Amino acid sequence: MKRFVFGAVSALVLGVSAAAAADYPAKEIQGIIQWGAGGSTDTVMRSVTPHAEAVLGGTVVMQNMTGGVGAIALNHVAGQDADGYTLLMGAENPLLYKVMGLGDKDYSDFIPISILARGTPILVANPDAPFNDYAGMMAYIKEHPGELRVGATGPGGLPSVVTAMINTVEGKMNVISVPYDGDGPALTALQGGAIDVMPAVLGAAIEGIRAGKMKPLAIFDVAANPKLPDVPPVTDFNAAYSTYLPWGPFFGVFVKKGTPDDVVAKLAAAYAKGAENAEFKELMDNRGFNMLAISGAEAEAFLAKWQQGTTWLLQDAGLTKTSPEAFGIARP
Amino acid sequence: MTKIETDHHDGTSDATPGGYEGQRRPGELVFGALLTLASLVLLWDAWGIENTFGPNGLSSPRAIPLATTLVMVIAAAVILLKDMRLPRVTGETVMKDILPTTVIIVAVLLVAFGVLLKPLGFLPTSALFLIATIKLLGDRGWGWTIGVALACLVLIWIVFRIVFTVLMPAGIVPEAELIQVVRNLFEGAK
Amino acid sequence: MDAVLAFLTVFTHPELLLLVGLGTFAGVYVGAIPGLSVTMAVSILISFTFSWDVHPAIALMIGIYMGGVYGGSRTAILLNIPGAPSAIATALDGYPMAKRGEAGTAIGVTTVMSFIGGFIGIGVLAVAAPFVSDFALKFQPRDYMLLAVLGILLVGSLSTGSLVKGIFAGALGIAIGAVGRDPLTFSERFTFDLPLMQGGISFIAVMIGMFGVSEALMQLHHVNKDAVRQQISRIVPSLSTVKKHLPLSVQTSAIGVLIGALPGTGGDIAALMAYDHAKRVTKNPERPFGDGAMEGLVAPETANNAAVGGAFIPMMTLGIPGDAVTAIMIGALFIHGLNPGPMLMIDQPDMFWFIVGALVMANFFMLLFGLTGIKLFTKIVEMPRSVLIPLIMLLSIVGAYAVNNSLTDVYWMLGFGFFGYFMRHYGYPLGPVILGVILSRLLDDNWRRAIISEREDLGRFFHGVFTSPLSTVLFIAVILIFVSQTPIWAKAKAKLLGGSGQGVEQ
Repeated sequence: MKRFVFGAVSALVLGVSAAAAADYPAKEIQGIIQWGAGGSTDTVMRSVTPHAEAVLGGTVVMQNMTGGVGAIALNHVAGQDADGYTLLMGAENPLLYKVMGLGDKDYSDFIPISILARGTPILVANPDAPFNDYAGMMAYIKEHPGELRVGATGPGGLPSVVTAMINTVEGKMNVISVPYDGDGPALTALQGGAIDVMPAVLGAAIEGIRAGKMKPLAIFDVAANPKLPDVPPVTDFNAAYSTYLPWGPFFGVFVKKGTPDDVVAKLAAAYAKGAENAEFKELMDNRGFNMLAISGAEAEAFLAKWQQGTTWLLQDAGLTKTSPEAFGIARP
Repeated sequence: MTKIETDHHDGTSDATPGGYEGQRRPGELVFGALLTLASLVLLWDAWGIENTFGPNGLSSPRAIPLATTLVMVIAAAVILLKDMRLPRVTGETVMKDILPTTVIIVAVLLVAFGVLLKPLGFLPTSALFLIATIKLLGDRGWGWTIGVALACLVLIWIVFRIVFTVLMPAGIVPEAELIQVVRNLFEGAK
Repeated sequence: MDAVLAFLTVFTHPELLLLVGLGTFAGVYVGAIPGLSVTMAVSILISFTFSWDVHPAIALMIGIYMGGVYGGSRTAILLNIPGAPSAIATALDGYPMAKRGEAGTAIGVTTVMSFIGGFIGIGVLAVAAPFVSDFALKFQPRDYMLLAVLGILLVGSLSTGSLVKGIFAGALGIAIGAVGRDPLTFSERFTFDLPLMQGGISFIAVMIGMFGVSEALMQLHHVNKDAVRQQISRIVPSLSTVKKHLPLSVQTSAIGVLIGALPGTGGDIAALMAYDHAKRVTKNPERPFGDGAMEGLVAPETANNAAVGGAFIPMMTLGIPGDAVTAIMIGALFIHGLNPGPMLMIDQPDMFWFIVGALVMANFFMLLFGLTGIKLFTKIVEMPRSVLIPLIMLLSIVGAYAVNNSLTDVYWMLGFGFFGYFMRHYGYPLGPVILGVILSRLLDDNWRRAIISEREDLGRFFHGVFTSPLSTVLFIAVILIFVSQTPIWAKAKAKLLGGSGQGVEQ
């Protein structure tokens, strides 16, 4: 008991006098996950973090904080101390908050610890749909204007970006856009025939494609994906897509700007090492994600490029609330 | 007149809510008026909901809120009008039957809990709250009160903080550092 | 043969058996404490079991799930505070029984009925999973919308006092569910331009406030009254009691399985619908509903436990979660290197049979732990109110915070606690508020999806309703139930039956 009290007191003294990075982490780290339990962000974060913990020699307590398209979690982390004890585990959405009018903060208020992986979009259809590839779908839309039901996940979601790309490249499509609250429910609806076509991330659709519950129309990438070698890339149908591709949603771990450099370095090293774990790599590969595991200047550049490309694409498609120009986001 | 079950009129069971049939309780009219007013405000607010990115027809995000708040306004108005014609329950007063002093004090303590939780932290705030309410309600000695309060708090803290890792605001107590020390001790012992 | 072996995995491995038992035991307590939820427990287990094999990890989670769904009824019966949303209906008749000192009987019946419901759910999962999931996929947005309307009509049977007050409460609930950024268009609704409103109001916070804090405040009126002494000598219900309620329990279990299997609806809605069904079909309950009718316990408890098996149906056959807990389990399967989806049943059928086996075992453990250790629970109720009331309040605060780690939810919880206190005093039923919040998104989102799919054309919408057999059936059910709640129906019935129908409708 005496020893415990002594230990506690000395830890207190230490904690107050020297919050240096040498003994970081001196307490458990909070990891705020932007999306709900069971979602892809949640799964990815919960599978990489234990490996990073082992390197770090500390504990990361992960908590889901949902709401406001992830803005609640982002603002929460932004409101904490920049001491490296609160991590934001998020996806790509915050880069669109400003132009969509969802908030005044985005990843420019944070330092990327690691951009872990990037997904690839794929266009899938109900197996009973009267076409079998991308070209067939475009022809069907021309013949039956305003008939095809395309799934969406709200402004700024992956489907809205893919749709904006198609509209920009092929001219405006006359289709019905049916909104769902996530690609999971939308793909369920696709299998039930409530919608005909859905732009989704490869990992979410891959098992359904393997089982023949949905059929792939085209991969939104410049080359075929090794997971589905028979599905043609969309650039095979229209080379103009290569301006915007490769594009895809991503997952990353962030800390608030102002966090000491050595803490950032320690965290970045831990997550870089954690992402190299074979089991984690296999999980990401199974779900069709491309590993990135980048940090530092490389990650900053990736974020800036992603934001420029996507916000201006949405702006040109008339899907934004405020022009990217107003926030100093230059046209790519 | 319908028989009133005295056991139930205080509303302790949800299936047979409080209130009397054919009479109105003290303060019921004010409550009804407030609900009507609040419903009107919500209806007004629902009208202002707009879809930034699309059409505002039947599929607008305002459609269902508009319909429900309209129902609220109508229902609240009907309740208010009905209540106005009812006689008041004799022998009941707001202070005695609706808001006795104990309820007011505990409510104030709860609000204080909410206000202090962030700056002071979970452990001290809860300790103060438990000691104050148990003393107020139980009328037992200080030793007993403080003992029971702290024992309960430790139990809850262990379940939520240690087992379920719910990070309540730490405030002035460096919980996380203390846990780390204990953890280090255990790991050192291994 | 392989299927049998996989099914028996749990039974032949002592450590798996132990984990299922441990999970079920913990689950009963997790479910019983209003602030702890199965969803929370299972998502923590993901990190906890990260380095384990897939079988022990899933075994533990299934135990917690089964025990947790059942555990919600404990506090509902003993304290009138449902431990989980799916136990709201259980409180309606369970608490009046406890007030009479019959908590032992109530818990006994609840346990046996949960066991029966659980078994029917697992049975359907094992035998007919592919058919049920095909059927569940047939539900279009308009069918979900009609289902939500059907649910809203339950307000009638949940408000025994004044119907107008019930309608107000239900509408309020739907409005509460709409607060925050609309997930489909990101428009702000009822946020009054306050950033803290953008995330909406957590439905668990509303529930804990209305049922936990307001109940505790209510109890302040009787601080000095002695607690009711509970007779716990006779817990296991007699065979004749079980036999008597068997037909009803089969019907309500069927409701539970189907509602549980539909992605987007779960045990909470199933339990309320089952309660309503029981009220409709029970001609002469021994005691009136809301006053301790046994049927009022049988229906929700069979339904919510049957919904567990139901929720696994789309998860195992399609990789689509049936509810929040199965969503996390899908994540767990991913993390353990499996690929949940339509191919799982074909690639790894033994996983399916392993889960069925674990569920069966968890169901048995639930029966065991349910019928023992009741003494401890009743002791909790018999402890001095001066300690119990502050404890309930503290648990409510921690519980509301734990849902989303946000102080805002604590404030909402307290606000609704005070509001609920006045609602109880003035005869406004609280059940419909929760019903409204649960159904708000289901109704709103699916109405909009349905009408968008028909290009905002009401004519095309109704054409769709009447050309689909499923929608037509649901539509007719909505009309019938609606009419049956209006005075016209009672009059017509009285005329037709020459007065013998009197007293059936209240």
